[in-house]
Amino acid sequence: MNISGTAAITGMAELKPEIDAGGRSSLGLLSEVAGRAIKDAGLKKSDIDGLLLTPPAEDSCFMWPAQVAEYLKMSPSYLNMVELGGASACAAVTRAALAVTAGLCRHCLCLSGGIWDSQVFNSREGKMAVMSRAEINYELPYGPMGFNSGYALIANRHMYEYGTTPEQMAKIAVDQRQNALANPDALFNKQAISIDDVLNSPLIVDPIHLLEIVRPCSGAAAVIISRSEEAIDMPNVPVYLLGMGEACTHNSIIYSDNITLSPVKFSAARAFAMAGLKPADMDLLSLYDCYPITVIITLEDAGFCKKGEGGGFVQSHDLTYRGDLPLNTHGGQLSFGQPSYAGGMSHVSEAVRQLRGEAETRQIENNRLAFVNGNGGVMSTQSSLILGRERNDRR
Amino acid sequence: MTEDNGKKWFKKGRTVLKVQYCPVCEKYIFFPRELCPYCLEVKPEWKETVGRGKIYSYTAVRRSSLPEFEDRVPYTYAMVELHEGIRIPTNIVDCPVNKVRIGMPVELAWIEESKDIIPVFRPATP
Repeated sequence: MNISGTAAITGMAELKPEIDAGGRSSLGLLSEVAGRAIKDAGLKKSDIDGLLLTPPAEDSCFMWPAQVAEYLKMSPSYLNMVELGGASACAAVTRAALAVTAGLCRHCLCLSGGIWDSQVFNSREGKMAVMSRAEINYELPYGPMGFNSGYALIANRHMYEYGTTPEQMAKIAVDQRQNALANPDALFNKQAISIDDVLNSPLIVDPIHLLEIVRPCSGAAAVIISRSEEAIDMPNVPVYLLGMGEACTHNSIIYSDNITLSPVKFSAARAFAMAGLKPADMDLLSLYDCYPITVIITLEDAGFCKKGEGGGFVQSHDLTYRGDLPLNTHGGQLSFGQPSYAGGMSHVSEAVRQLRGEAETRQIENNRLAFVNGNGGVMSTQSSLILGRERNDRR
Repeated sequence: MTEDNGKKWFKKGRTVLKVQYCPVCEKYIFFPRELCPYCLEVKPEWKETVGRGKIYSYTAVRRSSLPEFEDRVPYTYAMVELHEGIRIPTNIVDCPVNKVRIGMPVELAWIEESKDIIPVFRPATP
Protein backbone atom coordinates (compact mmCIF):
# COMPACT_ATOMS: atom_id res chain seq x y z
CA MET A 1 0.00 0.00 0.00
CA ASN A 2 1.42 3.37 -0.98
CA ILE A 3 0.13 6.17 1.24
CA SER A 4 1.65 8.90 -0.95
CA GLY A 5 -0.84 11.74 -1.20
CA THR A 6 -3.47 10.24 1.10
CA ALA A 7 -3.07 12.98 3.69
CA ALA A 8 -2.39 16.71 3.67
CA ILE A 9 -1.38 19.53 5.98
CA THR A 10 -4.55 21.58 6.35
CA GLY A 11 -3.66 23.91 9.21
CA MET A 12 -0.51 25.53 10.51
CA ALA A 13 0.58 28.07 13.12
CA GLU A 14 3.88 29.13 14.62
CA LEU A 15 4.80 31.48 17.46
CA LYS A 16 7.64 33.93 17.15
CA PRO A 17 10.64 32.47 18.99
CA GLU A 18 11.68 34.34 22.13
CA ILE A 19 14.84 34.23 24.25
CA ASP A 20 12.87 35.37 27.29
CA ALA A 21 9.58 33.53 27.66
CA GLY A 22 8.35 36.23 30.05
CA GLY A 23 7.10 33.81 32.67
CA ARG A 24 4.96 31.77 30.31
CA SER A 25 4.71 27.97 30.46
CA SER A 26 5.19 25.27 27.83
CA LEU A 27 1.52 24.32 28.12
CA GLY A 28 0.56 27.96 27.70
CA LEU A 29 2.55 28.27 24.47
CA LEU A 30 1.12 25.00 23.16
CA SER A 31 -2.45 26.10 23.88
CA GLU A 32 -1.93 29.37 22.01
CA VAL A 33 -0.40 27.77 18.94
CA ALA A 34 -3.01 24.98 18.93
CA GLY A 35 -5.82 27.55 18.90
CA ARG A 36 -4.23 29.42 16.02
CA ALA A 37 -3.66 26.27 13.95
CA ILE A 38 -7.25 25.11 14.44
CA LYS A 39 -8.50 28.53 13.34
CA ASP A 40 -6.14 28.49 10.36
CA ALA A 41 -7.62 25.15 9.25
CA GLY A 42 -11.16 26.54 9.53
CA LEU A 43 -11.99 23.93 12.17
CA LYS A 44 -13.44 23.93 15.66
CA LYS A 45 -11.55 22.41 18.57
CA SER A 46 -14.17 19.65 18.72
CA ASP A 47 -13.16 18.62 15.17
CA ILE A 48 -9.69 17.65 16.38
CA ASP A 49 -9.67 13.99 17.38
CA GLY A 50 -5.96 13.20 16.99
CA LEU A 51 -3.17 14.67 19.12
CA LEU A 52 0.54 14.06 18.64
CA LEU A 53 3.14 15.77 20.80
CA THR A 54 6.84 16.16 20.79
CA PRO A 55 8.37 16.14 24.29
CA PRO A 56 8.26 19.30 26.41
CA ALA A 57 11.58 21.01 26.99
CA GLU A 58 11.32 21.47 30.73
CA ASP A 59 8.18 19.82 32.08
CA SER A 60 7.90 16.19 33.07
CA CYS A 61 7.31 13.95 30.04
CA PHE A 62 5.20 11.56 32.06
CA MET A 63 1.80 11.13 30.38
CA TRP A 64 2.55 14.25 28.34
CA PRO A 65 -0.15 13.62 25.70
CA ALA A 66 -2.74 13.36 28.47
CA GLN A 67 -1.30 16.42 30.27
CA VAL A 68 -1.69 18.47 27.08
CA ALA A 69 -5.12 17.07 26.21
CA GLU A 70 -6.28 17.94 29.73
CA TYR A 71 -4.87 21.49 29.57
CA LEU A 72 -6.53 22.03 26.19
CA LYS A 73 -9.77 20.30 27.31
CA MET A 74 -9.62 17.85 24.41
CA SER A 75 -10.63 14.18 24.31
CA PRO A 76 -8.76 12.69 21.34
CA SER A 77 -9.37 9.21 19.93
CA TYR A 78 -5.70 8.93 18.96
CA LEU A 79 -2.84 10.39 20.98
CA ASN A 80 0.86 9.86 21.51
CA MET A 81 4.23 11.48 22.04
CA VAL A 82 6.93 11.14 19.40
CA GLU A 83 10.51 11.26 20.70
CA LEU A 84 13.08 11.23 17.91
CA GLY A 85 14.90 14.36 19.06
CA GLY A 86 15.01 17.02 16.35
CA ALA A 87 13.32 14.60 13.94
CA SER A 88 10.23 14.39 16.18
CA ALA A 89 8.23 17.07 14.39
CA CYS A 90 8.61 15.49 10.94
CA ALA A 91 8.02 12.07 12.47
CA ALA A 92 4.83 13.32 14.13
CA VAL A 93 3.58 14.50 10.72
CA THR A 94 4.26 11.02 9.30
CA ARG A 95 2.41 9.33 12.16
CA ALA A 96 -0.50 11.75 11.79
CA ALA A 97 -0.72 10.94 8.07
CA LEU A 98 -0.82 7.22 8.86
CA ALA A 99 -3.51 7.74 11.50
CA VAL A 100 -5.88 9.80 9.35
CA THR A 101 -5.35 7.49 6.37
CA ALA A 102 -6.16 4.46 8.53
CA GLY A 103 -9.22 6.20 9.95
CA LEU A 104 -8.03 6.26 13.56
CA CYS A 105 -8.81 9.97 13.59
CA ARG A 106 -10.05 12.62 11.19
CA HIS A 107 -7.98 15.73 11.95
CA CYS A 108 -4.73 15.18 13.79
CA LEU A 109 -3.04 18.08 15.60
CA CYS A 110 0.76 17.85 15.82
CA LEU A 111 2.02 20.13 18.58
CA SER A 112 5.60 21.02 19.31
CA GLY A 113 7.54 23.46 21.45
CA GLY A 114 7.99 24.81 24.92
CA ILE A 115 9.91 27.05 27.27
CA TRP A 116 13.68 27.21 27.21
CA ASP A 117 15.36 27.73 30.57
CA SER A 118 19.05 28.65 30.34
CA GLN A 119 19.74 27.55 33.92
CA VAL A 120 18.41 24.06 33.31
CA PHE A 121 20.05 23.92 29.87
CA ASN A 122 23.51 24.76 31.18
CA SER A 123 23.37 22.65 34.32
CA ARG A 124 24.94 19.21 34.67
CA GLU A 125 21.42 17.82 35.27
CA GLY A 126 20.20 19.48 32.08
CA LYS A 127 23.05 17.97 30.10
CA MET A 128 22.57 14.55 31.64
CA ALA A 129 18.85 14.65 30.88
CA VAL A 130 19.61 14.36 27.15
CA MET A 131 22.32 11.70 27.56
CA SER A 132 21.99 7.94 27.43
CA ARG A 133 23.52 5.83 30.20
CA ALA A 134 26.33 4.90 27.81
CA GLU A 135 27.05 8.58 27.17
CA ILE A 136 27.04 9.39 30.89
CA ASN A 137 29.33 6.47 31.75
CA TYR A 138 31.77 6.49 28.85
CA GLU A 139 31.66 9.96 27.25
CA LEU A 140 30.90 12.47 30.01
CA PRO A 141 34.21 11.75 31.89
CA TYR A 142 36.02 13.18 28.85
CA GLY A 143 34.18 16.51 28.80
CA PRO A 144 32.21 16.41 25.53
CA MET A 145 30.22 19.58 24.87
CA GLY A 146 26.96 17.86 24.07
CA PHE A 147 25.78 18.23 20.51
CA ASN A 148 28.44 20.83 19.75
CA SER A 149 31.32 18.37 20.12
CA GLY A 150 29.44 15.57 18.35
CA TYR A 151 28.94 17.68 15.22
CA ALA A 152 32.51 18.98 15.52
CA LEU A 153 33.78 15.39 15.26
CA ILE A 154 31.76 14.99 12.06
CA ALA A 155 32.88 18.32 10.60
CA ASN A 156 36.58 17.65 11.24
CA ARG A 157 36.35 14.19 9.73
CA HIS A 158 34.41 15.56 6.70
CA MET A 159 37.13 18.18 6.17
CA TYR A 160 39.78 15.43 6.41
CA GLU A 161 38.05 13.01 4.02
CA TYR A 162 36.66 15.44 1.46
CA GLY A 163 38.52 18.72 1.82
CA THR A 164 35.46 20.65 2.97
CA THR A 165 36.51 24.14 4.07
CA PRO A 166 35.50 26.45 6.94
CA GLU A 167 34.38 29.02 4.32
CA GLN A 168 31.97 26.53 2.73
CA MET A 169 30.38 25.76 6.08
CA ALA A 170 30.20 29.45 7.00
CA LYS A 171 28.39 30.25 3.73
CA ILE A 172 25.34 28.31 4.90
CA ALA A 173 25.02 30.54 7.98
CA VAL A 174 25.53 33.62 5.76
CA ASP A 175 22.88 32.72 3.16
CA GLN A 176 20.40 31.67 5.79
CA ARG A 177 20.87 34.99 7.56
CA GLN A 178 19.93 36.70 4.29
CA ASN A 179 16.70 34.69 4.37
CA ALA A 180 16.07 35.63 7.99
CA LEU A 181 16.29 39.34 7.11
CA ALA A 182 13.04 38.78 5.19
CA ASN A 183 11.39 36.94 8.08
CA PRO A 184 9.87 39.21 10.75
CA ASP A 185 9.55 36.19 13.09
CA ALA A 186 13.23 35.18 13.00
CA LEU A 187 15.26 35.66 16.17
CA PHE A 188 18.21 37.09 14.24
CA ASN A 189 16.76 39.23 11.46
CA LYS A 190 18.36 42.63 11.93
CA GLN A 191 21.85 42.32 10.55
CA ALA A 192 23.44 40.55 7.59
CA ILE A 193 26.59 38.54 8.29
CA SER A 194 29.57 37.80 6.05
CA ILE A 195 31.76 34.71 5.81
CA ASP A 196 34.45 36.68 7.65
CA ASP A 197 31.98 37.53 10.42
CA VAL A 198 31.31 33.82 10.89
CA LEU A 199 34.96 32.80 10.78
CA ASN A 200 35.95 35.64 13.12
CA SER A 201 33.32 34.71 15.67
CA PRO A 202 34.81 32.68 18.56
CA LEU A 203 35.72 29.04 17.95
CA ILE A 204 33.67 27.03 20.44
CA VAL A 205 34.58 23.48 19.46
CA ASP A 206 36.89 23.30 16.43
CA PRO A 207 35.93 23.79 13.64
CA ILE A 208 32.56 25.17 14.79
CA HIS A 209 32.26 28.92 15.43
CA LEU A 210 29.71 30.70 17.58
CA LEU A 211 27.72 31.91 14.53
CA GLU A 212 27.43 28.29 13.36
CA ILE A 213 25.56 27.09 16.46
CA VAL A 214 21.79 27.27 16.93
CA ARG A 215 20.40 29.50 19.66
CA PRO A 216 18.01 27.62 21.94
CA CYS A 217 14.89 29.65 22.77
CA SER A 218 11.21 29.36 23.61
CA GLY A 219 8.44 28.92 21.07
CA ALA A 220 5.90 26.56 19.57
CA ALA A 221 4.53 25.37 16.25
CA ALA A 222 1.58 23.25 15.18
CA VAL A 223 0.25 21.59 12.05
CA ILE A 224 -3.03 19.80 11.41
CA ILE A 225 -3.11 16.72 9.18
CA SER A 226 -6.33 15.63 7.48
CA ARG A 227 -7.26 13.09 4.81
CA SER A 228 -6.78 14.49 1.32
CA GLU A 229 -10.47 13.99 0.48
CA GLU A 230 -11.33 16.37 3.30
CA ALA A 231 -8.48 18.76 2.58
CA ILE A 232 -9.90 19.86 -0.78
CA ASP A 233 -12.97 21.29 0.94
CA MET A 234 -10.99 23.12 3.61
CA PRO A 235 -9.96 26.80 3.37
CA ASN A 236 -6.21 26.46 2.78
CA VAL A 237 -4.28 25.24 -0.24
CA PRO A 238 -3.69 21.60 0.80
CA VAL A 239 -0.05 20.64 1.23
CA TYR A 240 0.03 16.94 0.39
CA LEU A 241 2.33 14.44 2.05
CA LEU A 242 3.81 12.74 -0.99
CA GLY A 243 6.77 11.00 0.57
CA MET A 244 7.84 9.96 4.06
CA GLY A 245 10.88 8.04 5.21
CA GLU A 246 12.72 7.42 8.46
CA ALA A 247 16.01 5.90 9.51
CA CYS A 248 18.29 5.50 12.51
CA THR A 249 21.73 3.92 12.70
CA HIS A 250 22.99 5.04 16.12
CA ASN A 251 22.23 7.26 19.10
CA SER A 252 25.63 8.67 20.08
CA ILE A 253 27.83 9.54 17.09
CA ILE A 254 30.65 7.53 18.72
CA TYR A 255 28.84 4.36 17.60
CA SER A 256 28.19 5.32 13.99
CA ASP A 257 30.21 3.10 11.65
CA ASN A 258 30.98 6.07 9.41
CA ILE A 259 30.41 9.47 10.98
CA THR A 260 30.38 11.38 7.68
CA LEU A 261 27.59 9.20 6.27
CA SER A 262 24.22 9.74 7.93
CA PRO A 263 20.97 7.75 7.94
CA VAL A 264 19.53 10.53 5.74
CA LYS A 265 20.80 8.25 2.96
CA PHE A 266 18.02 5.80 3.86
CA SER A 267 15.26 8.13 5.10
CA ALA A 268 15.46 10.35 2.01
CA ALA A 269 15.65 7.39 -0.40
CA ARG A 270 12.51 5.95 1.21
CA ALA A 271 10.67 9.28 0.95
CA PHE A 272 11.64 9.83 -2.70
CA ALA A 273 10.69 6.24 -3.60
CA MET A 274 7.26 6.66 -1.99
CA ALA A 275 6.68 9.92 -3.85
CA GLY A 276 8.08 8.67 -7.17
CA LEU A 277 10.22 11.82 -7.28
CA LYS A 278 13.91 12.67 -7.24
CA PRO A 279 16.01 15.41 -5.61
CA ALA A 280 16.20 17.47 -8.82
CA ASP A 281 12.38 17.80 -8.77
CA MET A 282 12.41 19.81 -5.52
CA ASP A 283 11.75 23.57 -5.56
CA LEU A 284 12.52 24.17 -1.87
CA LEU A 285 14.83 22.49 0.63
CA SER A 286 13.92 22.82 4.28
CA LEU A 287 16.70 21.00 6.13
CA TYR A 288 17.37 20.67 9.83
CA ASP A 289 20.36 22.92 10.49
CA CYS A 290 21.59 22.77 14.06
CA TYR A 291 25.04 23.43 12.49
CA PRO A 292 26.15 24.03 8.88
CA ILE A 293 27.75 20.57 8.68
CA THR A 294 24.27 19.10 9.25
CA VAL A 295 23.09 20.76 6.04
CA ILE A 296 26.14 19.61 4.05
CA ILE A 297 25.75 15.99 5.14
CA THR A 298 21.98 16.09 4.51
CA LEU A 299 22.42 17.50 0.99
CA GLU A 300 24.91 14.74 0.16
CA ASP A 301 23.05 11.85 1.70
CA ALA A 302 19.65 12.89 0.32
CA GLY A 303 21.23 12.88 -3.15
CA PHE A 304 21.25 16.59 -4.01
CA CYS A 305 24.96 16.25 -4.77
CA LYS A 306 27.58 13.51 -4.70
CA LYS A 307 29.03 12.26 -1.42
CA GLY A 308 31.81 14.55 -0.30
CA GLU A 309 30.82 17.40 -2.63
CA GLY A 310 28.41 19.15 -0.27
CA GLY A 311 30.87 21.93 0.54
CA GLY A 312 31.47 22.83 -3.09
CA PHE A 313 27.74 22.44 -3.77
CA VAL A 314 26.69 25.11 -1.26
CA GLN A 315 29.51 27.35 -2.46
CA SER A 316 28.28 27.20 -6.07
CA HIS A 317 24.59 27.84 -5.29
CA ASP A 318 22.69 30.82 -3.94
CA LEU A 319 20.71 29.37 -1.02
CA THR A 320 18.55 32.44 -0.48
CA TYR A 321 14.88 32.80 -1.42
CA ARG A 322 16.02 34.74 -4.49
CA GLY A 323 18.58 32.11 -5.40
CA ASP A 324 18.82 29.03 -7.61
CA LEU A 325 18.54 26.64 -4.65
CA PRO A 326 16.23 28.10 -1.99
CA LEU A 327 17.18 26.46 1.30
CA ASN A 328 15.76 27.22 4.73
CA THR A 329 14.03 30.36 3.53
CA HIS A 330 12.84 31.16 7.08
CA GLY A 331 16.47 31.62 8.06
CA GLY A 332 16.97 28.07 9.22
CA GLN A 333 17.23 27.43 12.92
CA LEU A 334 20.64 29.14 12.81
CA SER A 335 18.88 32.49 12.31
CA PHE A 336 15.24 31.68 13.15
CA GLY A 337 16.20 30.19 16.52
CA GLN A 338 15.69 26.73 17.98
CA PRO A 339 12.53 26.77 20.08
CA SER A 340 13.15 23.32 21.49
CA TYR A 341 11.46 20.53 19.48
CA ALA A 342 9.55 23.18 17.51
CA GLY A 343 12.86 24.00 15.80
CA GLY A 344 12.33 20.83 13.80
CA MET A 345 8.75 21.90 13.05
CA SER A 346 9.97 25.26 11.70
CA HIS A 347 11.20 23.43 8.59
CA VAL A 348 7.72 21.98 8.05
CA SER A 349 5.88 25.25 8.68
CA GLU A 350 8.12 27.20 6.32
CA ALA A 351 7.56 24.61 3.58
CA VAL A 352 3.81 24.92 4.16
CA ARG A 353 4.00 28.72 3.84
CA GLN A 354 6.04 28.52 0.64
CA LEU A 355 3.83 25.85 -0.97
CA ARG A 356 0.67 27.77 -0.07
CA GLY A 357 2.21 30.95 -1.49
CA GLU A 358 2.04 32.75 1.86
CA ALA A 359 5.73 33.48 2.42
CA GLU A 360 5.27 37.18 1.66
CA THR A 361 8.49 39.02 0.82
CA ARG A 362 10.51 35.81 0.78
CA GLN A 363 8.06 33.86 -1.40
CA ILE A 364 9.83 31.65 -3.94
CA GLU A 365 8.49 31.59 -7.50
CA ASN A 366 8.45 27.85 -8.22
CA ASN A 367 6.70 26.37 -5.24
CA ARG A 368 5.28 22.99 -6.16
CA LEU A 369 7.50 20.62 -4.23
CA ALA A 370 9.54 20.75 -1.02
CA PHE A 371 11.97 18.35 0.63
CA VAL A 372 11.90 18.63 4.41
CA ASN A 373 14.33 16.84 6.69
CA GLY A 374 14.22 16.40 10.44
CA ASN A 375 17.37 15.33 12.24
CA GLY A 376 17.67 14.12 15.82
CA GLY A 377 20.69 13.73 18.08
CA VAL A 378 24.02 13.81 16.27
CA MET A 379 22.89 12.79 12.77
CA SER A 380 21.06 9.95 14.53
CA THR A 381 17.31 9.77 13.88
CA GLN A 382 16.14 11.05 10.49
CA SER A 383 12.66 11.79 9.23
CA SER A 384 12.37 12.97 5.62
CA LEU A 385 9.21 14.39 4.06
CA ILE A 386 8.28 15.35 0.52
CA LEU A 387 5.48 17.91 0.42
CA GLY A 388 3.61 18.99 -2.69
CA ARG A 389 0.77 21.17 -3.93
CA GLU A 390 -0.50 18.48 -6.29
CA ARG A 391 -1.78 15.22 -4.92
CA ASN A 392 -0.23 13.15 -7.70
CA ASP A 393 2.92 15.00 -8.57
CA ARG A 394 4.98 12.23 -10.15
CA ARG A 395 7.49 13.21 -12.77
CA MET B 1 27.88 -7.98 32.98
CA THR B 2 31.36 -6.73 33.98
CA GLU B 3 33.82 -5.28 35.79
CA ASP B 4 31.72 -2.98 37.99
CA ASN B 5 28.51 -4.03 36.29
CA GLY B 6 29.38 -1.87 33.30
CA LYS B 7 29.25 1.38 35.23
CA LYS B 8 32.98 1.91 35.20
CA TRP B 9 35.17 0.03 32.84
CA PHE B 10 38.22 1.57 34.41
CA LYS B 11 39.59 0.97 37.87
CA LYS B 12 42.26 2.54 39.96
CA GLY B 13 45.63 0.98 39.36
CA ARG B 14 44.66 -0.51 36.03
CA THR B 15 47.33 -0.56 33.36
CA VAL B 16 45.71 -2.56 30.61
CA LEU B 17 42.60 -1.52 28.72
CA LYS B 18 40.03 -4.27 28.33
CA VAL B 19 36.98 -4.21 26.08
CA GLN B 20 34.21 -6.72 25.60
CA TYR B 21 34.44 -9.44 22.97
CA CYS B 22 31.97 -12.04 21.69
CA PRO B 23 33.85 -15.28 21.00
CA VAL B 24 30.98 -16.64 18.89
CA CYS B 25 30.53 -13.57 16.66
CA GLU B 26 34.28 -12.85 16.86
CA LYS B 27 33.53 -9.17 17.36
CA TYR B 28 34.72 -6.55 19.81
CA ILE B 29 31.96 -4.65 21.59
CA PHE B 30 31.93 -1.12 22.94
CA PHE B 31 30.19 0.18 25.10
CA PRO B 32 29.78 -2.77 27.52
CA ARG B 33 26.55 -4.75 27.34
CA GLU B 34 24.99 -7.66 29.18
CA LEU B 35 24.66 -9.63 25.96
CA CYS B 36 26.49 -9.43 22.64
CA PRO B 37 24.45 -6.98 20.50
CA TYR B 38 25.20 -8.97 17.33
CA CYS B 39 23.82 -12.38 18.38
CA LEU B 40 21.77 -11.22 21.42
CA GLU B 41 22.70 -14.51 23.03
CA VAL B 42 26.28 -14.72 24.25
CA LYS B 43 27.59 -13.03 27.39
CA PRO B 44 30.65 -11.13 26.19
CA GLU B 45 34.07 -11.81 27.68
CA TRP B 46 36.62 -9.14 28.56
CA LYS B 47 39.69 -9.02 26.37
CA GLU B 48 42.88 -7.02 26.74
CA THR B 49 43.68 -4.55 24.01
CA VAL B 50 47.21 -3.65 22.95
CA GLY B 51 46.49 -0.08 24.04
CA ARG B 52 47.36 1.50 20.71
CA GLY B 53 45.32 3.06 17.98
CA LYS B 54 44.89 6.11 15.82
CA ILE B 55 42.77 9.23 15.98
CA TYR B 56 39.57 8.79 13.93
CA SER B 57 38.28 12.31 14.65
CA TYR B 58 38.71 14.98 17.29
CA THR B 59 37.71 18.45 18.37
CA ALA B 60 39.34 21.09 20.51
CA VAL B 61 36.88 22.08 23.22
CA ARG B 62 37.50 25.78 23.80
CA ARG B 63 34.48 26.51 26.01
CA SER B 64 33.07 24.14 28.55
CA SER B 65 30.10 24.63 30.83
CA LEU B 66 31.08 21.56 32.88
CA PRO B 67 32.73 22.98 36.04
CA GLU B 68 35.44 20.31 36.26
CA PHE B 69 36.52 21.07 32.67
CA GLU B 70 36.25 24.87 32.69
CA ASP B 71 39.86 25.44 33.76
CA ARG B 72 41.14 22.74 31.44
CA VAL B 73 40.16 24.39 28.12
CA PRO B 74 41.29 24.04 25.43
CA TYR B 75 41.41 20.25 25.56
CA THR B 76 41.01 17.55 22.93
CA TYR B 77 37.91 15.36 22.86
CA ALA B 78 38.47 12.55 20.40
CA MET B 79 37.37 9.26 18.92
CA VAL B 80 40.23 6.79 18.84
CA GLU B 81 40.12 3.69 16.68
CA LEU B 82 41.89 0.96 18.62
CA HIS B 83 44.22 -1.51 16.92
CA GLU B 84 41.44 -4.08 17.51
CA GLY B 85 39.19 -2.07 15.17
CA ILE B 86 36.75 -0.63 17.69
CA ARG B 87 36.28 3.10 18.37
CA ILE B 88 36.06 4.71 21.79
CA PRO B 89 35.59 8.28 23.11
CA THR B 90 38.61 9.73 24.92
CA ASN B 91 40.91 12.70 25.48
CA ILE B 92 44.27 13.25 23.83
CA VAL B 93 46.87 14.37 26.38
CA ASP B 94 50.52 15.46 26.21
CA CYS B 95 49.82 17.18 22.88
CA PRO B 96 48.76 20.80 22.24
CA VAL B 97 45.27 20.96 20.69
CA ASN B 98 46.58 22.51 17.47
CA LYS B 99 49.03 19.61 16.94
CA VAL B 100 46.36 16.91 17.03
CA ARG B 101 45.64 15.32 13.62
CA ILE B 102 43.28 12.69 12.28
CA GLY B 103 45.22 9.48 11.67
CA MET B 104 47.82 10.29 14.34
CA PRO B 105 49.08 7.11 16.11
CA VAL B 106 48.32 7.20 19.82
CA GLU B 107 48.99 5.06 22.87
CA LEU B 108 47.22 4.48 26.14
CA ALA B 109 47.79 6.69 29.18
CA TRP B 110 45.80 7.03 32.41
CA ILE B 111 44.61 10.16 34.16
CA GLU B 112 42.69 10.83 37.32
CA GLU B 113 39.24 12.27 36.72
CA SER B 114 36.54 12.73 39.38
CA LYS B 115 38.17 10.17 41.71
CA ASP B 116 38.46 7.61 38.91
CA ILE B 117 41.47 6.66 36.87
CA ILE B 118 40.35 6.83 33.25
CA PRO B 119 42.05 5.74 30.04
CA VAL B 120 43.17 8.54 27.70
CA PHE B 121 45.64 8.59 24.82
CA ARG B 122 48.85 10.44 24.01
CA PRO B 123 50.91 10.60 20.82
CA ALA B 124 52.54 7.20 20.34
CA THR B 125 56.23 6.80 21.04
CA PRO B 126 57.83 5.53 17.84
